[in-house]
Amino acid sequence: MSQLANFINAKQPLTSQPLAMTHVIYGYPSIGASLEWMQTLLEMGVETLEVQFPFSDPVADGPSIVQACHKALESEPKMQQCLADLGRLGRDYPNSKILLMSYLNPVYRFGITKLVKEAAEQGLTGLILPDLPIEHATEYQAACVEYNLDAIWLITPNMPKERIKQIAGQATGMLYCVSRSGVTGQKSSLQTEFDLVAYLAEIRQHTDVPLAVGFGIRSPEQVAELTGLADIAIVGSALLDTYNQGGIASGKALVAKLFPQLT
Amino acid sequence: MKSENGFYGQYGGSYIPEILYSSQQQILTTFEEAKNDPSFVAELHKQWQQYSGRPTPLTHCENLTQHLGGAQVYLKREDLNHSGAHKMNNVIGQGLLVKRMGKKRVIAETGAGQHGIATALVASRLGLECTIYMGAKDVARQYPNVFWMRQLGATVIPVKTGSQTLRDALDEALRDWSSSYEDSHYLIGTACGCAPFPEMVTYFQSVIGQEVQRQSLAQFDQLPDRLYACVGGGSNALGLFTPFLEDKEVEMVGVEAAGRGMDMGDHSIRLSHNLGQAGIAQGFASVFLQDDQGQLQETHSIAAGLDYVGVSPIVAHLAETQRVRMSYANDEEVLAACSLLLQKEGIIPALESSHALAVAFKEAADMRPDQHIVINLSGRGDKDIFNVAKAFDDKEFAPFLEDYLKNYHESDVNPNLSKNLSQDLSKEISA
Repeated sequence: MSQLANFINAKQPLTSQPLAMTHVIYGYPSIGASLEWMQTLLEMGVETLEVQFPFSDPVADGPSIVQACHKALESEPKMQQCLADLGRLGRDYPNSKILLMSYLNPVYRFGITKLVKEAAEQGLTGLILPDLPIEHATEYQAACVEYNLDAIWLITPNMPKERIKQIAGQATGMLYCVSRSGVTGQKSSLQTEFDLVAYLAEIRQHTDVPLAVGFGIRSPEQVAELTGLADIAIVGSALLDTYNQGGIASGKALVAKLFPQLT
Repeated sequence: MKSENGFYGQYGGSYIPEILYSSQQQILTTFEEAKNDPSFVAELHKQWQQYSGRPTPLTHCENLTQHLGGAQVYLKREDLNHSGAHKMNNVIGQGLLVKRMGKKRVIAETGAGQHGIATALVASRLGLECTIYMGAKDVARQYPNVFWMRQLGATVIPVKTGSQTLRDALDEALRDWSSSYEDSHYLIGTACGCAPFPEMVTYFQSVIGQEVQRQSLAQFDQLPDRLYACVGGGSNALGLFTPFLEDKEVEMVGVEAAGRGMDMGDHSIRLSHNLGQAGIAQGFASVFLQDDQGQLQETHSIAAGLDYVGVSPIVAHLAETQRVRMSYANDEEVLAACSLLLQKEGIIPALESSHALAVAFKEAADMRPDQHIVINLSGRGDKDIFNVAKAFDDKEFAPFLEDYLKNYHESDVNPNLSKNLSQDLSKEISA
């Protein structure tokens, strides 16, 4: 059984309110500063921390994350060091789970199986690869099974029902449910664009893994809307924008506002 | 060339954000249906002929042949397409697919601006909204093309992230498509991107090689001994090569941009000397210029259209299986070849195409006079006037620009006239 799913389910988020998944880019604005920011979030008690290893061509991301990734690349981050740094953080904060997100090419260069193996050895619980479709994922899925790490797949609002069934049926750990079209960071209200309740209900029909909802979450109201519907609320670009404006202090304030359970 | 589920050997595939899955499937289905629909194929040939002026000639270069003293040199004149480059073949084809899918808007990336212009032309003719993404550096290098795109009604968005060239334009076009797929088609200009784009663009460009087959038999009673084409993304090369793949006696040479040196960032050589490595980015697996962490690297070429970090998965596969021999030419050799064609044949080649000329001229000298080579002259060089004038160190050009600029600002034409004129025109059009 998945460590990640057990961890999330044990907290019974559906009966209270969604757990936090905060996103940080490794190496932004520098490697040291990004680790300090991750540590701050873990110290606050965020249940899950998503760490993005930067890539030069992040096609699923919007302007905030794209610019931060390019800035992060100036400090020439290394995947090997990233894994070691995240492993150390994970050991220091055993009550939270760390997930690694990366585009495929840095992972491919490192070696897909090698990455899964070493990420698992460092205590990471899941991987998110937004440009790897499930059809091309044979090696990745086999490695995830072998090393007991969760491959976290994305579900999108326009997805045909058959494909939701196909992907949800293979889900372990959690599913990353994108709440609208487009790239990360565009503003939107969750429920005005489409029927989120029906969308999540459709996904639930095919899986019992925890559901995380993300893309465009910026306000406590949006997180509150997810209560009883989703297990996790993902905050990415909004947190980055706030961090850019007011540093760690502002970032902390946003997380505290979005996730009152942490304070 | 047919793929195995979108793969050519280890290259190709469809590595796109999940949100684009349905649109990609729609293109896959529509393309399969369309190419098997005789009425689509008939319409395609009609538009190629009536709008773009196909077939383009195969020109025998007698002066050059004599000058080089080797093989008979022929040029496939893609420069004579409407818009001045082979890009038109693909854009006409995909434009018809857009109509077939009932979409109202096209998005495209462009490097040199040739694909941007071609897309804007066809969008205007088909009544489609058009947004072109172009690296900010390319906008600066190729402003005249930007001017025409905008006059044609396209929105041109300079991309200021990353290296500010073609690859960033491609990223940005993909991002646009992720939120606009319902009414928009991403009209990729080269044989790259997720399946079925490499196969589809190659299909539309293969008209080049099909014509060369017929023309060479008609003009010199045999197939060419060797074909040459420059390789940026790879679409003009695949267009020329693909129909000859089964003719083993026909040798194929792809020419990459060696730029100003062999250091990373100074060239766009991906396939020769193992300078590029296998990778997965921008929707497909191929060979990319990248570092040991898998980060894509900056590239350079005097020709904006060859300044690309990846290459078509089909070209990567044909190079790996040694069906296509890869070579390269540097900026200096390219200018010399351009100059030679101007002087000997009265043809103004694009700097992209001049890469193919450079290698072909060098090798033709070592061939026999009873052998024939065909070089794909993929585009005309008018667009390069600023860069070529500078590279040729033309003494009159800078003073001309200064005078022109002075007159441009001091002109006694009523400054409101042109504004009023364009407003009147748009009123008329909307009325």
